[in-house]
Amino acid sequence: MNLAEIFLTLLRGATQTVIVTILCSLTGLSVGLGIAIARRLGLIWLEPLFVTFIYVFRGVPMLVLLFIAFFGLPSIGISVPGHVAMMGSLGLIAGAYLAEIFRGALAGVQHEEVEAALAAGFTRWQALISIEIPQMLRMAVPSMVNEFTTVLKYTPFAYTVGIPEIMKQATAAVSTTLQGVEIYAMAGVLYFVIYRLMLVCVRLADRHFTIPGLSSI
Amino acid sequence: MALLEVRNLSKTFGHHTVLDGVDFDLEAGQIKSVMGPSGCGKSTVLRCINRLVEPSAGTIVFDGKPVTAARSDLLAIRQRIGFVFQNYALYRHLTVIDNVTLALRKLRRLSPRAAADRAGAELRRLNIDELAAQYPAELSGGQRQRVAIARALAMDPAVLFFDEPTSALDPIMAREVGGIIDRLRRDNVTVLCVTHDFELARTISDSIVFLSGGRVRAEDSGDRLANDYGDPHIRDFFTKGRTSP
Amino acid sequence: MNLSATILPELVSSAPEILRGLWSTMGLATAITLIGVVGGILVFYLTLSPVPLVRRLVQGYISLLIGTPLLIILFLIYYGLPPLGIRLSPLVVALIGFGFNVSAYNARFLTTAYNALDPSEREAAAAQGFPPAQVFRLITLPQTLKLSMPALTNQAIQNVKDTSIVFLIQFTEFFSQMQEVANRTFRFLDSYVATGIAYLLLISIVSIIARMIERRLSVPGLEP
Ligand SMILES: Nc1ncnc2c1ncn2[C@@H]1O[C@H](COP(=O)(O)OP(=O)(O)O)[C@@H](O)[C@H]1O
Ligand SMILES: [Mg+2]
Repeated sequence: MNLAEIFLTLLRGATQTVIVTILCSLTGLSVGLGIAIARRLGLIWLEPLFVTFIYVFRGVPMLVLLFIAFFGLPSIGISVPGHVAMMGSLGLIAGAYLAEIFRGALAGVQHEEVEAALAAGFTRWQALISIEIPQMLRMAVPSMVNEFTTVLKYTPFAYTVGIPEIMKQATAAVSTTLQGVEIYAMAGVLYFVIYRLMLVCVRLADRHFTIPGLSSI
Repeated sequence: MALLEVRNLSKTFGHHTVLDGVDFDLEAGQIKSVMGPSGCGKSTVLRCINRLVEPSAGTIVFDGKPVTAARSDLLAIRQRIGFVFQNYALYRHLTVIDNVTLALRKLRRLSPRAAADRAGAELRRLNIDELAAQYPAELSGGQRQRVAIARALAMDPAVLFFDEPTSALDPIMAREVGGIIDRLRRDNVTVLCVTHDFELARTISDSIVFLSGGRVRAEDSGDRLANDYGDPHIRDFFTKGRTSP
Repeated sequence: MNLSATILPELVSSAPEILRGLWSTMGLATAITLIGVVGGILVFYLTLSPVPLVRRLVQGYISLLIGTPLLIILFLIYYGLPPLGIRLSPLVVALIGFGFNVSAYNARFLTTAYNALDPSEREAAAAQGFPPAQVFRLITLPQTLKLSMPALTNQAIQNVKDTSIVFLIQFTEFFSQMQEVANRTFRFLDSYVATGIAYLLLISIVSIIARMIERRLSVPGLEP
């Protein structure tokens, strides 16, 4: 294999990298939003669960969580596919961080606007979904993006659970060609390009969704 | 020879000419104010003299040494010019006493003990020795200003620069600044004070330099400047310009 | 709990190795944190260079390292260099790889803090006659460090967690010792859960120490 061919295999791996990034980010987003909404709705009896979840998933290294999911659970008869293991580790970690980010952003949503909506006949749920969450999301954009790029940078560990993403393709290519510097440098550049593309997309989206008076970036 | 000679000082920011040939002298022991409308370049004059801002043209001679010469020992000259900034610019990570001793220890190379003694004397002179262990954020505006003055005086400067010493203070505190500067006169401290506060300039100054349109329009006593002076810039200032900061 | 009871004998008999692994993890994390702070300060200092080319290069360095996964750098050095005749020990590779990576992050934290500072204090120091290097050392740096303390301590905590990846470059630390336990007992879940609990304890202790340091160093008016 020459380097051009290797680059193509890395590029194919990039598709998987993007898929894993999206899966884990979406997992994180759902969990983070779920916790934020439950907290906002005052489901206090769930609070110990949330606190424990956030504490654990922010405190245990990602790779340990991944190993628990992928190598640990099968030993008690629960088999976990690689992508699910990534979502259960990296995705939930992102969820824990995002829950804290959303908590901070929700604190910045003005109470008067919510009260105005309630006074106008909105239910609590409607006010939350149509006013508080959208405002909160816009304010949380910079921290959210930061979290999603962090997810991207932790996706290489997916190679340890057999997902054929960039890192897996790179290690396979290195083991046959011994051109480690070139191949890993190419892989690094590929990650960097994805990272920059994420930032560009966010900037475009932000410009599109931006509302005067609600600052984010 | 005067302690400070400013000759043909000019400064242009981009296309905006702020100073356009400013001339004045400051004698040792003298207290002089620079007045003029807001934005006329008063602060820029002070910053050009010690080259915090690089002059576009002109010469500055301080104590016989050319400040503007390429090979001047700028740092040594700056150590002899005390500068009390408009917002005081205290080092917020340091206590009051450390603010005052820092240059003594690091530039004068005094021992911590000697520096603390020297600084303590300045704090007592300004009646703020009980603030020594406080941080700048814990002080009122007037207290911060005294610390800034103490920090400048501790280095035994040949001259003390003030930039708008009353602008950030309430009226009562503002009058106290006049008192402090008056006391400095008795200790023979040379002062160059930039201000738009005519009351202050009139009470403390031996003479006032009036700056407008990038030039010195007049240099005279406050009373004479205020009483229907010939120059229209000055008359304008005392009729309508004075109230604007 | 009967789960952990079953790997308990193995944990006890492997205790010396596990403790040595824990010690390696702590030592490595400490070294990385120190290198990262010193390197971060150095990189941050260079971002303030009056030479535009230097600033551009340093910004590129920061951006590149923040935008690339740490594992890539580690693998590039550890598996890429030996065919070129450069063979470094896992420890050295870890120190170099983490060093570059963490320095870039720390430099960015310091830059953020720097941008929040009041420039008039630097001007005041220049007016007092301090040369630029002393203005940096006596004013800019201490203020930037105090203001970025939470970010720097968070990075230190992150470092402890991230050292768990160095077994992938054959560095023997806590996680790799626990994998040995797992492989010997075939109790993978118990072993990895026990690993997770141990990290959680370790991270909790480090966090408490970090918050203490933050409180110790905080100054009124420079709160982050
Ligand atoms: N660093 C700078 N860059 C560009 N313009 C400046 C700078 N400093 C001051 N100026 C401009 O120079 C003029 C004079 O400023 P300044 O000396 O602060 O006035 P004053 O102190 O008399 O109010 C103002 O118009 C100001 O905008
Ligand atoms: Mg001014």
